[in-house]
Amino acid sequence: MVKLDQINISNDGLTKFFSPIEAAILRALWAEGEMTTSELTGKTKIPLTSVAGTLDRLVKAGYTTRRTEKVNGRVRFMYEPVFSEEEAANEITTKILDSLVETFGPLAVENFSKYSDKK
Amino acid sequence: MSDIHCYGQCLKSWAPFVALFVVMSIALIAVSLILSNPRKRLQLFVFAQSSGILSIALTYYIMECSEMLSLYLYSAYLLFSTLMIFGMLRYYDHIIIRNLGAKPADSILDWTQEFVDMLTSAKLYYFDSAIPRAFASGRSIFISVGLLEMLDDDELKAVLAHEAWHIKHNSGMPFMKQLALMAFSSSSDPELERMADHFAAQIAGSEALSSARDKVDKVFI
Repeated sequence: MVKLDQINISNDGLTKFFSPIEAAILRALWAEGEMTTSELTGKTKIPLTSVAGTLDRLVKAGYTTRRTEKVNGRVRFMYEPVFSEEEAANEITTKILDSLVETFGPLAVENFSKYSDKK
Repeated sequence: MSDIHCYGQCLKSWAPFVALFVVMSIALIAVSLILSNPRKRLQLFVFAQSSGILSIALTYYIMECSEMLSLYLYSAYLLFSTLMIFGMLRYYDHIIIRNLGAKPADSILDWTQEFVDMLTSAKLYYFDSAIPRAFASGRSIFISVGLLEMLDDDELKAVLAHEAWHIKHNSGMPFMKQLALMAFSSSSDPELERMADHFAAQIAGSEALSSARDKVDKVFI
């Protein structure tokens, strides 16, 4: 379900897997559940010009859904995350482990078991 | 009829080969109309045109009995492709409606279509995008939900009047410019935009127009 195009292990936190704006939007949505565009720009403190294209991309990639609402004669989008934070974390780790095992085979598995022994 | 008979005689073993080219170019044109990526669509269309020309050239050189029919064929091809291009220009808004999944705007804001009806005969659509955008094509005006979100009613009227002016003056738009618009290359003429703004200011007031302009830093075409 989660598409991972690029992984940058030198980045911090979620920006390893998402662009900084994508990460900020996802964090806000996970915290609040449902948000309008103006709530999102307020919470993330990122201007609409930067958020708008990213929101379209997140919807297209299937991370968030949105519905059009009409409130007091004004039209607005209401955004909702498709996956919870746990679901996304689970999916990302599975994808990365899969790709490590696919590339390095038994060596990767051996390192995982060493890693869990250390913990 | 004798020409067609001659085709059968002269082409013989080559006939399936030529037929393949003809079928391929027609299929390519059909596919190019379905594609959503404008650049790919244009590339495929050019490819289809070239393959059509090639098939006619092939026919012309392989058979030597009748040059007349080849000439007719070529003229028919020219006519057909020109009609296709003009037809595409005429119905391009229908293609946009399908690609954007656009819906009639009066289903979400009922006054907007009535407002457009007062200015010109055009259908107003909204489409699912957070990026504030508005543009006109054929006899349709498109606005994104992102634009509806950020503008108040007066500002929206200014934008609609601007686009309505474009629709009114679309018929006088030079052919090459329409083609450029189809490929989504930037082709907006500052003079046309100024005149559309002038009209919008008359309809909705210059204050509404300039505040709409301030809010939407992306220029609406």
